[in-house]
Amino acid sequence: MRGVLQVKLFKKISLVAVTSVMLVSSALVGAVSAAPSQLSGKITVNGSTALLPLTLQAAKEFQKLNPKVKVAASGKGSVTGPQAVKKGIADIGACDWDASMDVPGFKAFSGQVANKVAVIPFATVVNNNVKVTDLSTDQLKGIYSGKITNWKDVGGDNADIVVITRAFGSGTRVNYQSKALSGGDITKKEKNYKEVGSSGDMKTAVATTPNSIGYIDLVYVTSDLKAVKFNGVAASTDNVINGSYKIWAYGYYMTKGQPTGATKAFIEYVQSSKFQQSSLKKLKFIPIAAMK
Amino acid sequence: MGTPAQSFATKDELLTKPMGSNRFNRYARVHFSNKLFKFYALFSIFALCFVLGLVIFFIGKTALLTFQHVSVAEFFFSFDWTPEEGRFGAALFIINTLSLTALTLVIAVPISVGMAILIAEIAPTWFKNLVRPVLDLLVGIPSIVYGYLGLTVLIPFLREISGENLGDGLLAAALVLTLMILPTICRISDDAISAVPKKYRDAAYAMGSTRIQVIMKVILPAAGRGVVAAIIMGMTRAIGETMAVVMVIGNTAQLAKSFFSPTSVLTSNIVMQISNVDFDSPWNYALHMMAFLLLLISFALILFIRFLGRKGGDLT
Amino acid sequence: MSGFTRTPKITRSIRLNKIATVGFYTLGILVLTLIFWLLYTILSKGLPSLSWGFLTKLPEEMDVGGGIGPVLFNSFYILGISLALSIPIGIGAGIYMAEYAPKNKFTEVLRICVESLASVPSIVFGMLGLAIFASYFQVGLTILGGAVSLAFLNLPMLARVTEESIRAVPVDVRNASYALGTTKFQCIRTVVLPIAMRGIITGICLVAGRAFGESAVILLTAGLSTSGEMWDFNLFSPGETLAVHLWYVQSEAIVEDAKQIADRSAAVLVLVVLLINLLFRIPLWISNRKLKM
Repeated sequence: MRGVLQVKLFKKISLVAVTSVMLVSSALVGAVSAAPSQLSGKITVNGSTALLPLTLQAAKEFQKLNPKVKVAASGKGSVTGPQAVKKGIADIGACDWDASMDVPGFKAFSGQVANKVAVIPFATVVNNNVKVTDLSTDQLKGIYSGKITNWKDVGGDNADIVVITRAFGSGTRVNYQSKALSGGDITKKEKNYKEVGSSGDMKTAVATTPNSIGYIDLVYVTSDLKAVKFNGVAASTDNVINGSYKIWAYGYYMTKGQPTGATKAFIEYVQSSKFQQSSLKKLKFIPIAAMK
Repeated sequence: MGTPAQSFATKDELLTKPMGSNRFNRYARVHFSNKLFKFYALFSIFALCFVLGLVIFFIGKTALLTFQHVSVAEFFFSFDWTPEEGRFGAALFIINTLSLTALTLVIAVPISVGMAILIAEIAPTWFKNLVRPVLDLLVGIPSIVYGYLGLTVLIPFLREISGENLGDGLLAAALVLTLMILPTICRISDDAISAVPKKYRDAAYAMGSTRIQVIMKVILPAAGRGVVAAIIMGMTRAIGETMAVVMVIGNTAQLAKSFFSPTSVLTSNIVMQISNVDFDSPWNYALHMMAFLLLLISFALILFIRFLGRKGGDLT
Repeated sequence: MSGFTRTPKITRSIRLNKIATVGFYTLGILVLTLIFWLLYTILSKGLPSLSWGFLTKLPEEMDVGGGIGPVLFNSFYILGISLALSIPIGIGAGIYMAEYAPKNKFTEVLRICVESLASVPSIVFGMLGLAIFASYFQVGLTILGGAVSLAFLNLPMLARVTEESIRAVPVDVRNASYALGTTKFQCIRTVVLPIAMRGIITGICLVAGRAFGESAVILLTAGLSTSGEMWDFNLFSPGETLAVHLWYVQSEAIVEDAKQIADRSAAVLVLVVLLINLLFRIPLWISNRKLKM
């Protein structure tokens, strides 16, 4: 596949200046052989930024084992993953939900296979000045739909609640809405409401804005902000594994049909217990084997 | 490039035989290079236009699909942007973009042009040599660093003085943008002001003008087109800036009612949403339409400023 | 003061002049303080912990102590290619606008084209690069795609600055040159360009600085990863640059020392821009000195 594309490219642009470099690259990329020991080729991964640290780490280890394989990764948003796969821009589309099925806001991508690679726990976070330590599904629903606007209504100080949320379509938001708000709305408000573009921005915004509430991957929770309990259960890896904490989701690698060649080997590497039990755990994701 | 070179070669052969050919040969070569250079310059400007054409083609192609799903009137005049429910009113972003640009220019132009005058006219040489490279440094600071500082330093400060809970909004964005376009406006106006011939100044001083009079009545009008160009460059950067604005503006699709209400402009909305939409959805088309609109708006603003510049400036 | 009476009007003018001078200096000092505070904030967080290892090591995803080696290299590589592509064309276009363009409607249109192109948000160039390289040519996220898209971004600014600097060259100089029988090209090459060089180099510095810190374009066209080795000159490798790495570290990275890496990367970015300015300017200073002698 890639070999053909490379040839197509040769036809399309004949830049003399880069030919020598391209010859080297096509020698590396051109011949996609199926021999498992001598895997070669180029794998492009696009999609969810939340899965990017995992992909980059896996790519690094995988390239060490298979020096002839190049893994290029990029991230924009979850839905970019399966779309890039559909368009043929990427071989693997990282996505925070199973894109082969309908989810609120997005239609299913037919013909794509979802490969589970990790479990991602999420947490409700508040600024350190907020006294509340536990919020129920109904309270969260009230806060995000705009019905509850003051912390004193949920057991805190008399102060306005500042809602910070991810943009519509963010994988974190899709999962948080379906797991923590059980499908409830996140309503735009005129004041005390803002949207942020990434987990890092969410962390900074909640950490620096008094009386704010937001949600984020559990990995990013540090002493700068506070994770609150959900229906009385603390957000922790153990509680996700024992089934009491409900706000978590699988992270997926979407492929066009069943993966083959280097792509298949790469996904298998990510799913292997060697990677799952060491690097993936160190990155504070939860191995897929831990869930029943 | 092949054909003119060849025609030159044949001419060259014809001319080598007779006496005095050396002179003639050189003459032909000089004229050929003269022609070639003009051709090259023309080629360059067309290459530039070609890039603009590419942008218009690639973005416009997708953008126009919007109107298969949304009526033109709704897109341009509705204030309701709820794409998840199929309502695509972009009017609020257009107005917000214009207000943000205006607010930014109101703050940035006096400061930047004032700095340029200080550097070019008033300050001693050592001061100039210090400030110029420092200003160039500012351009190189990545926009996300500005955004991050805006989020962690400026916004808490604004929150403090305004008593708001959040502090995000037009004012925060305009202040960050001011800092970002300051070097652009300042450096280009500085060059324009420095280029005003010394004789103008001498003439004005000889008439007994004070320095401020020389600056206001002679130098600024003489440097008018350069300063206008500088403002346009700054403004276009302000309109197109995304990564920093998105961190301090609040990203809420509503009309900005005050300096501190969280709001959204064309760029920030594009960058927030483009990564999270289906390629083949009206939503994506609408975002492309907004990118296209951004082009049209800056186009209109450029015309407007040129018009102002022609009325007030060009006394040369 | 002999033979010179101070009318109230003159007194007023002189007072106004003093006030204005003080005003300009106050403004200058305020702005400079702000700028130095900004630079201090950025540099003081990153510089002290900067080490050679950080500049040359590979980035890490889970262990502390990762470096920025390949991304720093990519930054220079992409900047170099994009400048090599855009400087000749940008300056050529600027020369056309200043020297050759006749004063008519068509030229006005061209000028507005240049200015509109300057206002195209960087993210749109990113979208364009993605459409051309990833969708049309199917090469994926590459250094080449990033460099070309970045060159698009540089073009209008280069053209604009070149035009302004060339226009600032006095007519007398040109006339003198033509009087010696030079062709237009000779006049431009030997007289106009050397005089305008100072302004053009300012422009190149501004463009290079901006391009070096640009993240939106590279993010979409060159990707968020590197090939994982230093000195990879392959144009078809993924080409994460330092600015993109900074964005990534600030927004998504989960490695423990992400904050320090971000601070250091920001400091390195600013330092490099400083270096670019010096590098471009030193030859200029030397030639200036020669001129004075």
